[in-house]
Amino acid sequence: MNRVFEIAKREFVATVFTRGFVIGLLVLPTMIALGITVGPRLFMDRAFRVEGQILVIDATERVTPELRTALTAGTRSADLAAVTRAARGDAAANVMVMEALGMAPKLTLVEHPAGADLEHEKAWLRSAEPGGERHLALAVIHTNAVEPKPNQKELGSYDLYLPPRPDNRVEIAVQQVLRDAIVGARLGMRGLDRGTINELVNVPRVQSITVSDNGEQTGGGGFALILPAAFMFLLFMGVMGSGQGMLTTTIEEKGSRVIEVLLSAVSPMQLMAGKLIGHMGISLLGMSVYLVLGLLGLASFSLFGLLDLSLIVYLFIFFLLAFFTIGSLMMAVGSAVNDMREAQSLMMPLMMLLIAPWVLWLPISRNPNSTLAVIVSFLPPVNAFGMLLRLSSTQPPPAWQVWLSIGIGIVGVVGAVWFASKVFRIGLLMFGRPPNLATLIRWVRAA
Amino acid sequence: MATVHATAVPSAAAAVTLRGVTKTFGETTAVTGLDLTIPRGALYGFIGPNGAGKTTSIRLIMSILFPDAGEVRVLGHASALEAKDRIGYLPEERGVYRKMRVAAYLTFIAKIKGVAPRTIPARIKTLLDHVGLPTVANNKCEELSKGMLQKIQFAAAIIHEPDLLILDEPFSGLDPVSSRLLRDLIVAEHERGATILFSTHVMQQAEEICEHVVMIHRGAKVLDDPVSVIRNRYEVRALEFEPLQPGFDVNAVLALPEVESCRSIDGAYEIALREHSDSRAAMQRLIATLPLARVELKRPRLEDIFIELVTGSESRDAAHDLRAELRAGATAEAR
Repeated sequence: MNRVFEIAKREFVATVFTRGFVIGLLVLPTMIALGITVGPRLFMDRAFRVEGQILVIDATERVTPELRTALTAGTRSADLAAVTRAARGDAAANVMVMEALGMAPKLTLVEHPAGADLEHEKAWLRSAEPGGERHLALAVIHTNAVEPKPNQKELGSYDLYLPPRPDNRVEIAVQQVLRDAIVGARLGMRGLDRGTINELVNVPRVQSITVSDNGEQTGGGGFALILPAAFMFLLFMGVMGSGQGMLTTTIEEKGSRVIEVLLSAVSPMQLMAGKLIGHMGISLLGMSVYLVLGLLGLASFSLFGLLDLSLIVYLFIFFLLAFFTIGSLMMAVGSAVNDMREAQSLMMPLMMLLIAPWVLWLPISRNPNSTLAVIVSFLPPVNAFGMLLRLSSTQPPPAWQVWLSIGIGIVGVVGAVWFASKVFRIGLLMFGRPPNLATLIRWVRAA
Repeated sequence: MATVHATAVPSAAAAVTLRGVTKTFGETTAVTGLDLTIPRGALYGFIGPNGAGKTTSIRLIMSILFPDAGEVRVLGHASALEAKDRIGYLPEERGVYRKMRVAAYLTFIAKIKGVAPRTIPARIKTLLDHVGLPTVANNKCEELSKGMLQKIQFAAAIIHEPDLLILDEPFSGLDPVSSRLLRDLIVAEHERGATILFSTHVMQQAEEICEHVVMIHRGAKVLDDPVSVIRNRYEVRALEFEPLQPGFDVNAVLALPEVESCRSIDGAYEIALREHSDSRAAMQRLIATLPLARVELKRPRLEDIFIELVTGSESRDAAHDLRAELRAGATAEAR
């Protein structure tokens, strides 16, 4: 047992006490912080402005005046900001919406009569002079866009033509302007005041209050969605980080031939156990750091009470199940190949298994007791991810399903470690052509 | 193919016993029906050309591999796994954790070999002094030269003062000075009382160090005897001489009844004697035929014996090819 501990200790120390590990541990929180603070500024189109001419053929002759008024009186962005401010009672919304939408469009209206030749006007789209105003769009307002045709109820719309290689931001801005103008014309025809309508349809959104055993907290709605993702991320990070570590260290030990020195002192099973325990320690350390940061974050937003602390216990139980299953298989792959390049093909099935929970995250967390969710929570090794998602969702599963999932997980661990130990024992001293799955199975039979 | 067996040693007194051990990899038989007994305290050389099955045999002794058939006993145990703390092993393909410092690496190896922690620092210091590297304890392994690393690896192999020391091609890649140092260290371990088995394909090394030689070819043992017995058993088949004056009559030498051929080697001459001829009589006739500055019986080298055992009655070409193969391996090693 001492030897296993010594190997585990060496793995732990060789990984944790390196600049790379410390930097790696800090990279994720740093990236999240940067994403929150710098990301919006990088990705928003604040400097972009829709600018150019739109040609309108208006058969109703009522939409064009609305357009003319809208384009001279103000901007869509300003209107939206005002509406949002009114809805949320939040002055900051003005700035947020303005930032989100970018600069107000600067559109020049070119009006053509209803009988204009459409084909001729389409040519206008491609006739902008270099350096001159851009020809952004041609809109043909349907005759029934404002009022339905006699004996009909449906209102019409408009046709929109764009020049080659259209920018979707231009399209969105033009459609918004046309929509507002048509709605304005329709309201005007019926003698309705737009400002009054806006006020009538506006119901401010309220912040929900979650009532838990620990009292009442606001803002818990998003928490319910984020919590499963956060737990799955911790589980994924713990399993994948160390799984990758075990793969690479095994390949390195095999490549540098230190493996034979180790095998002269310990058995392959002791070596494998030591490596698993060492990397489990590394994962637990990383997970604990992120968990503590997460709990501190919850406490700082007064949301700590929303977290069921038993979830942390389940996190560690399901981490152990997933870690020993995936980790031992990763080590088996590492022992069977000569370098990382050769590992790729054998890694593919494992990677697919690890990606599956991310694909299933939303369906399972939205409907945690669906047939899909139940099946996934009983299929090792993804059962750990599936059951943790269900446990952290709004409708936790019955206790018997949790225990059954843990039981199946333990069987999965035994099977994976058994398979991996057989491959590990033979693969460590095999060099040359990398094995395929059939060869691995043959090794297992032979070992 | 001729096979010579040593006198049986009671297995209780043996450090290593192999009985009918066979190991195959797919369709390749690496070791076939190998019987071997190494008495405690012996210094055995395990020799044969590259690919003969030496490393596989050693891995079988070490329980790194397991035989398909046959029995292995090491230090009185059914498996080396039960006696790992008493075995030192320097594999042919050896490596270290390159990012670890030398002292940390040796400490790690000592701990997994079961050395008492409090004795480890002093042991490391003594060993580094012995291998001539007293100042490298705090260096990272990757900072050391290949020769220095091999000394560290040897130190790691003996750090727990093993009863049985198994060295697979220990001299490969070493310069002559380091080879001599390593040879002295091996002899020192032997004098301490350790049983030593080392493999090499450079037969001269085995000839210089070993008390006993086991030859293996294509997975099968072809010779297993003390070096002294081998020397006495195999008849002298050549004489080497230097004439007192150059320009002697070669035909006079070739006319001697025992002489099969005569060739010049670096200013001296080597006479190949006919099979079953009397070497002493040949020497007396030669002295009577020519005025000589020097003449001596040329004892067969292990390489010659190996070739004779392996090729037997096969053609000269086969012997020539095998000799070339052996020398090519040795030359590549020297490079």
